Amino acid sequence: MAEIPFPLPDLGEGLIEATVLEWLVAEGDQVERNQPLVEVETTKSAVELPSPQAGRVARTYGEPGETINVGEPLIVFEVPDNTAGIVGTVPQEAPARRRVRLTAVPDED
Amino acid sequence: MSEQPSGAVASSDLEAAARNTEQTAAQEQSSPAPSPEDGAGRMENLSMQAALNRALAETLAEDPRAVVLGEDVGRLGGVFRITDGLQERFGADRVFDTPLAESGILGMSVGLAMAGFHPIPEVQFDGFAYPAVNQIVTQLARMNYRSRGTMPMPVTLRVPSFGGIRAPEHHGESLEALFAHVPGLKVVSPSSPHEAYHLLKHAVAVPDPVIFMEPKSRYWQKGDVFPDDAGPLQGAKVVRPGRHVTLVAWGAMVARCLQVAELAAEDGIEVEVLDLRWLKPIDAEGLAASVARTRRAVVVHEAPLTSGLGAEVAALITERCFDTLRAPVGRVTGFDVPYPSGDLEDEYIPNIDRILFGIQRVLEYRRG
Amino acid sequence: MDNNLQPAALPAEELRRLYRLVTAVRQLDLAAIAWQRQGIIPGYAPELGQEAAQVGSAFAMDPKHDFVFPTYREMGVALTMGVDMTAYMSTHKASWHGGLYDPVQTRLAPIQAVVGGSVLHAVGWAHGQTLAGNPGVALTYFGDGASSQGDVHEAMNFAGVLKAPVIFFVQNNGWAISLPTEAQVAGGTVAARAAGYGMKEITVDGNDAAAVVLATREAAAHARAGHGPVLIEAMTYRRGPHSTSDDPGRYRTLAEERRDEGADPVRLLADRLVAEGIADSAFLDAALQDANANADRVREGVMALGPRPGSEMFDFVFAEPTEALKAQARAWREESEHV
Repeated sequence: MAEIPFPLPDLGEGLIEATVLEWLVAEGDQVERNQPLVEVETTKSAVELPSPQAGRVARTYGEPGETINVGEPLIVFEVPDNTAGIVGTVPQEAPARRRVRLTAVPDED
Repeated sequence: MSEQPSGAVASSDLEAAARNTEQTAAQEQSSPAPSPEDGAGRMENLSMQAALNRALAETLAEDPRAVVLGEDVGRLGGVFRITDGLQERFGADRVFDTPLAESGILGMSVGLAMAGFHPIPEVQFDGFAYPAVNQIVTQLARMNYRSRGTMPMPVTLRVPSFGGIRAPEHHGESLEALFAHVPGLKVVSPSSPHEAYHLLKHAVAVPDPVIFMEPKSRYWQKGDVFPDDAGPLQGAKVVRPGRHVTLVAWGAMVARCLQVAELAAEDGIEVEVLDLRWLKPIDAEGLAASVARTRRAVVVHEAPLTSGLGAEVAALITERCFDTLRAPVGRVTGFDVPYPSGDLEDEYIPNIDRILFGIQRVLEYRRG
Repeated sequence: MDNNLQPAALPAEELRRLYRLVTAVRQLDLAAIAWQRQGIIPGYAPELGQEAAQVGSAFAMDPKHDFVFPTYREMGVALTMGVDMTAYMSTHKASWHGGLYDPVQTRLAPIQAVVGGSVLHAVGWAHGQTLAGNPGVALTYFGDGASSQGDVHEAMNFAGVLKAPVIFFVQNNGWAISLPTEAQVAGGTVAARAAGYGMKEITVDGNDAAAVVLATREAAAHARAGHGPVLIEAMTYRRGPHSTSDDPGRYRTLAEERRDEGADPVRLLADRLVAEGIADSAFLDAALQDANANADRVREGVMALGPRPGSEMFDFVFAEPTEALKAQARAWREESEHV
């Protein structure tokens, strides 16, 4: 698993911070790209931040009422190290299993 | 693309660019210090994805005629990330996305080769090589012949191949026999990151069309790559010696055969595993040398049995080793059925038990 | 063109049915993405944003006479046609490539993984109706990406020459995996190509389900009347990834998505129904509830799908199996553990 942090983006021209109003996801949640993550309030307005990517939420930063500076961590996603192709899965290396045993004695002559 | 020379390429420009690139490449190559504790040179543990990506990057750096083209190979970096970062590094003239048309990609590659380039097209999945078969078979494979050798086709078609990833239909096919049957095509399939790295670099340098079949189920497994030690680039390779029976395999089946060899050893049977690598031309002498030692052979492939490459391998062995063979050459293959949906993949791809049965049959065989 | 081929505006009851359908498709689509995340299915091709284009077009067809040719992203079409959705979703469970529904009975051809692969089949089927004197119309789906395939050109040319009763329904969703339409479609629109084939074309807002129904009804009437094929280009947007393992962040930004996505098809229809007094919030809520209940039922159905018997690998290869294949099936039975 790799962790991908998402810092608080600049939500308007020159804003330096935002206040967390409500987290819309919790640690451990699987979120999709574009899914609302958190409602924050800036000096201009309250906005919902959409998720920039799909992944599992590893950590969130800031309780409701707390202020986060632009560029500081807001949320960390957990994504698998091995990314599947556009379709299909990443095959798991399975231990060698068998039912058949070789019983033949090779003819050595 | 707009700056790319169209039609006739000013070859002197290309050669000048080649010299420049070669100088740069030489400088780049001289920089990493040889590993002090390893006399064989550098070693890195890479996935096959990463090894292929590196081979392409080095090829693009060293060969100014090389161009990578295909669906989603640019910004996305390919549906399996094999071309990841290449467009960023080499520009959209060298690494470019095409519209969604495989016949178009291959036909374009033929034209690019006529214009002096070394195209490296990608078809996203084996099953999507079918729409390109017309251009591959009727054009790419015979342009050198048609032009009496004046228009060679140094095209390397990369095809993520074979099954094992539970993908939708046409994302898990084994086309090697189809391609190997076509005069004018060469076909190769690497089994490990090391082989993938060296064989891809080599394939691009081959002046003929090479179908490069990447075993997609092995993309993620890591292995040691020795960039400075390619070893022989032609022919088959013994990847595990043994004296009782030779298992002949390629692509993803090599790893499975190595598992089988390990299990067979528990039963006192020493299995030699021969990675065929080149499916055309097939290394007939390499096959004969191995079977001369073991006197028994089983070919393992994912593709269907009938008219599969196993038949060709069996014929080559029989022609050369008829007198020493202790049993007819065995074949353990996929069935003569369309590649099944993911739930049935493991029933279709030769599994450990079926390969062990195949070994048992040739061991038990007695003449008369 | 005959004025009598212009369809009448949709009555309220049809609009309500349409809304229930787009909502059912939206919720099932979202659910399927979640199933993939939960390991219930290995992969899925979401259609978020294309609900109106799919539901609206399938809604306009006559299930007694017509036949529909899907790609791999036509869940909304299947649902609208009344296909058993567990049987449909089985393709994404990796049970059976073409899906487990009966294409003859449902009038929906098997799921097609080859891009543009079934477009010619629609022309052949449609011409068969002409030859047989049947009133059926073929509806074939493909995308802006597939429009680049040579087969699609061949299909349109054949249909134009033969005046085949076929509707080429392009869902132009802006993206073919990572390639935007402007890098895919020379000239900017697929619809513009119809002129070259002497074919009627209709460009429609693919996010407006009612407009799509009307466009498709108009096209079907045109084709049924013997006037030849029609190309419909429904302008919409692939709001989600190409597949559940795609990461659109590699090739487009959220800001670009906001700029280009247009109206949400479900929201658009809801707003219209409410504005016109055709539905109230209780109706919308009930539709959502039904949609979620349906998604839950399909989830249970998909989870209950065991692997198909391995013997089916051999059963459908030929109409008349060969002795060699039967022998392979026997060997398989003896040598493998079986599902």
